[in-house]
Amino acid sequence: MLRFLLHRGGQALIAAFGVVTLVFFIQRLTGDPTALLLPETATQADIEAMRATLGLDRPLGVQYLDFLRDMVTFDLGRSFVQNAPAWDIIASRIPQTLQLAAGALAVALLIGLPLGLLMALTRGRAVSRWIMGLVLACQSMPTFWSGIMMILVFGVWLRWLPSSGTGTLAHLVMPSIALGLLSLATYARITRSAVLDELGKDYVRSARARGVGIRRLVSRHLMRNSAIPVISITALEISQLLAGAVIVETVFAWPGLGLLTVQSIAARDFVVVQAVVLLGAFVTIFANLAADILYSVVDPRVRLEGK
Amino acid sequence: MKQTMKGLLAGVALAVLATPALTTAAFARDITIDLAGEPSSLDPHMQWNPDSYYVYRNVFDNLVTRDNAGEIVPQVAIGWEQVSDTEMAFTIREGITFHDGEPLTAEDVVYSVKRITDPEFGSPQLGQFNQIVDATAEGNVVTLTTDGPYPALLAQLVKLSIVPQHVVEEVGAEAFNAAPVGSGPYAFEAWNRGVDVRLTRNDAYWGEAGPFEAAIFRAVPDAATRVADLQAGTADLVVSIDADAGAQLSGNPEVQLLSAPTERVGYVGLNLDKPPFNDLEMRKAASLAIDRQGITDGLLQAGEVPMSQMSSPAHFGYNPDLPLFEYNPEQAAEITVANPDLAGTPATLATAPVFDQRIVQAVQQMLNDVGFNVSISMTDMPTYLGIVRSEPAENSELSFGRWSCACQDADGIAYPTLHSDSSWSRVNVPELDTLLEEARVSLDPEVRQAAYNEVHQIVRDNYYLLPMYQAAVLYGATAELQFEPTANESMFLNRMSIAE
Repeated sequence: MLRFLLHRGGQALIAAFGVVTLVFFIQRLTGDPTALLLPETATQADIEAMRATLGLDRPLGVQYLDFLRDMVTFDLGRSFVQNAPAWDIIASRIPQTLQLAAGALAVALLIGLPLGLLMALTRGRAVSRWIMGLVLACQSMPTFWSGIMMILVFGVWLRWLPSSGTGTLAHLVMPSIALGLLSLATYARITRSAVLDELGKDYVRSARARGVGIRRLVSRHLMRNSAIPVISITALEISQLLAGAVIVETVFAWPGLGLLTVQSIAARDFVVVQAVVLLGAFVTIFANLAADILYSVVDPRVRLEGK
Repeated sequence: MKQTMKGLLAGVALAVLATPALTTAAFARDITIDLAGEPSSLDPHMQWNPDSYYVYRNVFDNLVTRDNAGEIVPQVAIGWEQVSDTEMAFTIREGITFHDGEPLTAEDVVYSVKRITDPEFGSPQLGQFNQIVDATAEGNVVTLTTDGPYPALLAQLVKLSIVPQHVVEEVGAEAFNAAPVGSGPYAFEAWNRGVDVRLTRNDAYWGEAGPFEAAIFRAVPDAATRVADLQAGTADLVVSIDADAGAQLSGNPEVQLLSAPTERVGYVGLNLDKPPFNDLEMRKAASLAIDRQGITDGLLQAGEVPMSQMSSPAHFGYNPDLPLFEYNPEQAAEITVANPDLAGTPATLATAPVFDQRIVQAVQQMLNDVGFNVSISMTDMPTYLGIVRSEPAENSELSFGRWSCACQDADGIAYPTLHSDSSWSRVNVPELDTLLEEARVSLDPEVRQAAYNEVHQIVRDNYYLLPMYQAAVLYGATAELQFEPTANESMFLNRMSIAE
């Protein structure tokens, strides 16, 4: 087991090193940020002075080694634009993004699962086709459009919900729905096909023959047996939600990591952009590592193959 | 499995419920302002983008300021006098106190000047103030010394905020940025990163403090959302909306559109060392082909004004008598038909995403319609800046740009775009250099104006570059808010009022 852990841990470290290197050099490829940080009227001397302040006048190799040292000591650098450590800036936004992702997941699960079940149970009937149409609409609407439409209807016209911002539970409703719509459609479709699969199996037929009612059948058998694909898709959906948050957070002025990314790009705050990218990459790498380890705990065969 | 599902749902529900409870309800006389982004900095000596200074110019007093008509008027300084060609003495207002109760002194003014001009401090605004080589205080008089005669000094000092020496030295730059202490009409209360900045009225302010008890500046990046906030009544004032959003608001009696021309001038730069625009006739044809009025009235529609000089009515040095460029595509076509090989030389028009691409595409279309062969080269901003600042041989034939010096003086816009010393300029005309230098160092406004008049005339006659229009900004506000937007894009809360 220890050998397996070392092996997987080593792989994760190599991946992390690759990401760090890639981020460093890609960022240098996109050009010198100094000119962007200074007013248009800045002279060449002003630009040189700023390059020296930021340490960009040193040889690339030296900058790279410095950058690696910072990474090893978990120093993500300092935002020149906001004049604060990048990690502090990011940390202040993480709870907001988690809240939104949780809200969206709740919307997707609480609406998507029953819809999927209903579609499966009413297969071939008009109800099923109507719901499928609705689900497809959810999946096809781009978030930046559906978000604005929701704001106009519920925020401006009906005035039921705050049009943007954060602070109360009411603020969370529209962004959660906007972000959850796509996942909702995925869940509904996955649930539908999983339940249909189960419906065709022998045990269902036997149960029906024994006179088990549909309600009991669903709650005792179908739900449980169809849950496996639903749970495995959830892991994927969470990363989808984090990506979708960039647009939803921008539309609803929701102050999470997605909005921070957009704001930092607009403000040319490359230290923060770089830190967000690194954070995303590390989360992915270590989530995969954790999943690998979990698999090996659950299924010892994985451990043996992973030698 | 059921347990897992339950656990998952419970976790989700918990996370949702963990959202902070309702924040305190807004008072009737608060103002909520939607900005496009959150301030980069609340330290007025650091970043100076609009989203930052919309906020901090209410927290700090500046040495001098501009009234709504654009005139430079006293603020911290109650008067000033040119002592010699390189020295100006400012009398500091007595009785100003910072928000912590300490008095604002001449030493604070000296400290503020020295802080922003210290290369070690690394202010992005350094280039606007580094002509100041010394600052001294004697009693309540501060004397600033420049490295030569500098007529734009006052115009630059409009942007110099006075910070309290005792606070900055005690807490350091980082803590000062996080919780700034000024002497302005509004005091800093809280900065919820990424969400909003809250200010409260400074009732001890020496001047008029303004009608709002509190002000909330929120970051709302999507323009459509800002407009929706205004319509929903959750914002009182929103910035940076375009004419389309403006059209959406017109007809709604609860809101109003406010437009103000700025001191930004849009222009098309020409490479005078490469064909086809090394030829005067070709440059003339290009100018004749561009329908400036069509662009401002048909495309931009936010109150932009066509220009024929590298300055605007918001600048000192503007010549109101200079006629606009003629729009005559037929005449332009005659010129290009007479020399089709030269006109057909491939030319690239350099641009970056930050500029309004509708204008860039319209310019390309108008030029190609009369026989030029223009293609658009859209690159990221650093690449664009690299191209337009490079030597003529590497430079593009055409570029679109917008210039602002935030100083409202022609020196800040004509010198960098037209003087041969400037890396932004592709013009190398000794006569222009002489005039621009004369206007830069003369302390006599009449001499300066005469020099600029001549500069504008020469540039117009020779089409050295093609000024296009004076840019405008569009604000949306609730109908009862009285706010007069200014060319320097400031948002002084104490100059606003609420109609009863």
